[in-house]
Amino acid sequence: MSTTFKQRYRRSVGDPDLKPRLLTFQRSWRESRDAQVKRLEQRTERSFDDLRQEFAAVKDLTLEHWDDHIAQFRANAEAAGATVVELSTAEDAVNYISSVCKSRGIELIVKSKSMVSEEIELNHELEQRGIIAIETDLGEWLLQLAEERPSHLVMPAIHQKRQYVAEILGKELDREFDPDDIPAMVASARDGLRGHYLSAGAGLTGANALIAETGSIMVVTNEGNMRLATSLPDVHFVTAGIEKLIPSWADAERQLQLLPRSATAQTLSTYTTCITGAQPGKEMHIILLDNGRRQMRESDSIGDALRCIRCGACANVCPPYQVVGGHTFGHIYTGAVGLVNTTFHHGIEEAAGPQGLCVSCGACETVCPVAIPLPKQILDVRHRAHEAGHAPRWERAALRFWAKPSLFHHLMGLGALASGGARLFGLVRRDHLRLPLPRRLRWRSVPALPLRNGRTLVRSRKPQPPIAESPATGQAVDLFAQCLADRMLPTAVDAAARLIEAGGASVRIPQSQHCCGLPAFDAGDWESARTMARQTIEALEGGSNQIVTPAPSCVIAMQEHWPELFHDDPEMQQRASAVSRRVHDLAAWLDGPGRLPDGCLEEAENGSWTAHRFCQASNRGDPFARIDQLVERLTGESGLPLEEPEVCCGFGGLTSMAAPEVGQGILERKLACVAESGCDTLITNNPGCALHLRAGAVASGATHETMHYAEFLAERLPQNP
Amino acid sequence: MVTTNQRAAQFAEGLHAAQGEFRRCDSWDDLWAFATSLGDDSPVVSPAAYEQLQRGQLPDDSDPLRSIADRPVGIAVAQLAIAETGSVLLIEPSTIDRAVSLLTRHLIVAVQETDILDELAEGFAWLAQQPRAAAYATFVTGPSRTADIERSLTIGVQGPSRLTVAVLP
Repeated sequence: MSTTFKQRYRRSVGDPDLKPRLLTFQRSWRESRDAQVKRLEQRTERSFDDLRQEFAAVKDLTLEHWDDHIAQFRANAEAAGATVVELSTAEDAVNYISSVCKSRGIELIVKSKSMVSEEIELNHELEQRGIIAIETDLGEWLLQLAEERPSHLVMPAIHQKRQYVAEILGKELDREFDPDDIPAMVASARDGLRGHYLSAGAGLTGANALIAETGSIMVVTNEGNMRLATSLPDVHFVTAGIEKLIPSWADAERQLQLLPRSATAQTLSTYTTCITGAQPGKEMHIILLDNGRRQMRESDSIGDALRCIRCGACANVCPPYQVVGGHTFGHIYTGAVGLVNTTFHHGIEEAAGPQGLCVSCGACETVCPVAIPLPKQILDVRHRAHEAGHAPRWERAALRFWAKPSLFHHLMGLGALASGGARLFGLVRRDHLRLPLPRRLRWRSVPALPLRNGRTLVRSRKPQPPIAESPATGQAVDLFAQCLADRMLPTAVDAAARLIEAGGASVRIPQSQHCCGLPAFDAGDWESARTMARQTIEALEGGSNQIVTPAPSCVIAMQEHWPELFHDDPEMQQRASAVSRRVHDLAAWLDGPGRLPDGCLEEAENGSWTAHRFCQASNRGDPFARIDQLVERLTGESGLPLEEPEVCCGFGGLTSMAAPEVGQGILERKLACVAESGCDTLITNNPGCALHLRAGAVASGATHETMHYAEFLAERLPQNP
Repeated sequence: MVTTNQRAAQFAEGLHAAQGEFRRCDSWDDLWAFATSLGDDSPVVSPAAYEQLQRGQLPDDSDPLRSIADRPVGIAVAQLAIAETGSVLLIEPSTIDRAVSLLTRHLIVAVQETDILDELAEGFAWLAQQPRAAAYATFVTGPSRTADIERSLTIGVQGPSRLTVAVLP
């Protein structure tokens, strides 16, 4: 069971069935969950966001008065006949359970699903002490038989194939199973487990909520095993994290509006059981576990993760999770929240491995029923992992190189010369080098670097004549090219400048601009990020011109991440904010301060188009992510529909380099949607995405063109005289 | 104003969505006739159901679960039902109360039509005021189920594989 992250990563990317199975799951969950949420919104006449914020506020308030609620819960539960213990560590919890068992001669425990028991690796620890714990939830039982960990918070065995299930059940029950007869395999759980219920001395459950006002627990299940485990044996153990406390029954109901809909897309799970105290003559032991939770509460950035109600929704929309599954994307807790809370329950060593898999698309936060700012928290954990020395050496070196503008530009210049040479020798096809790449990188091509960078392209031509009056007519605008686009997608930089000029503004390119610091910030290397951000601030400050960039990721970095980078340096924070306030994404500019009129661009004959919308901006709800609407407005041409237009393309900054199989897997999902749209041209708004999508399309032989939307729009401007 | 009838119709819809079956019964006799038409002459009954029916087999006091495990038909009584979700609320403080709903294959739950509430919140508000009921209270929404093997939904796992809610006037 104990394997390194690298081993788990290799195993999951080597499983050919995992990706398609998880893709089907994610898509069907999304459809059912969205339908459930829509019905909920209609019935309550309130938005999902309102409902989740309301329940998040309940959780936050409970945590503010944590000890009071714990005391109230304890008093009420004990009055009802339960024993309540608050324990600090996993070891304390295991010791408590085993000592109760020993003193009552209990050798067998039947368990209903409990993530806390997984967290403390209870089964294994009890076994060492001569006590057998049998999982009775079907999925958990299958994992126990296979000696595996859950790969999902709610559907723990989602990674197992039916053929594999038939094999392990066959071994356990000594009979043959037809892998296609799932009902027969399910029925075998009834037979296989019944005897255990009857002979067990104790039952163990988790708790979805601990209701302070009466000392009750609430448990939500579907199979019926939890009711059996709490009814047959004489002793009932409850293992629950102290964050499961809520003040009242009304709050429990609020939680239920969100939990089953977000977990299994059910209106309500089959059994919602509330238990208060023990039956006469029986025992109930409620173990309230800390195990890092109080420490989490003290962390400003991570504390909100204690709102988590373990629905698993964050995994269900996570593109990298779809590629590698929960054994790799997480530790014992999986999905986005697992990337966060593992640090506190199991240590930074266990949390560090999967950090690089997150593409920072932000999808998790959009569906989280308690509005946990997971993307921000993951970045914070990455920073902690980096500080603790867990960043790969190549990554540190790459970021140090990136942070030195002159070295960066010299090396890129050399790359451009080499690319030029390759062109002469016919080694460039569709602007990409025909290089023999290692097998795990063959899904993409390497772009041939153009000789002239974006800033040179803009400076070396005459200004684009205005095509219309705009609110920015007569203004001077500073262009922030973005380091990546400047060297690798210079035509997008030039196109952006032409579109600004088309609205009557003049474009100025501040010297010595380089990188906003995003790649380093994303990787947790805040020191390099600060160096880069400082350079950019120095390059862009000192004027009052508005600043426009074709890279929405940089806008987000400047407005969101800079304040964090300089949180303990008020002077830099002020300078950063003076710059970031003037920054606009190009699409926002063309719709706002530099608004071009509807239908102002000429028709062009380059066939049909569809738009991939930069995931991070889309998931944050930034209106400028809707480049499809902008293009339609300016050209009068409608785009083709694209499935999952806001799901990440797989670039994810350094992710596609650190974990190429993840970049590949997500890209393939995207390119399949693009192929299905039947478009001639795919447009997108972030330069990194455009490069990634283009390199993947070229390598796969896809025939569509990939463009930054600025290029697509600028093609429709009257040509320079 | 939602009428009792509309509430029952909404309840039926929620129950169907959860793969449960809805049945109107004119009387307890009618319910008994339905239960015995399912292939078991003497369905097992919960203590609350026995009070109303005065017939059927009660779980054995000394070993309630073993005595009725996997019996084809069982009858229990719900405290109330929730139209919004198609759920019935079972109040089962002791093991003998629970046996029928835990282990019979086809569970019939009787509920008075006037005890159907609109929303789950009302059910929780009721429970909050009933400490004795909250000792062991379960909102049951459809028959037991799992999707743990390749997400294939299978009805009937460790609890009943069929659930009929019999609504009495």
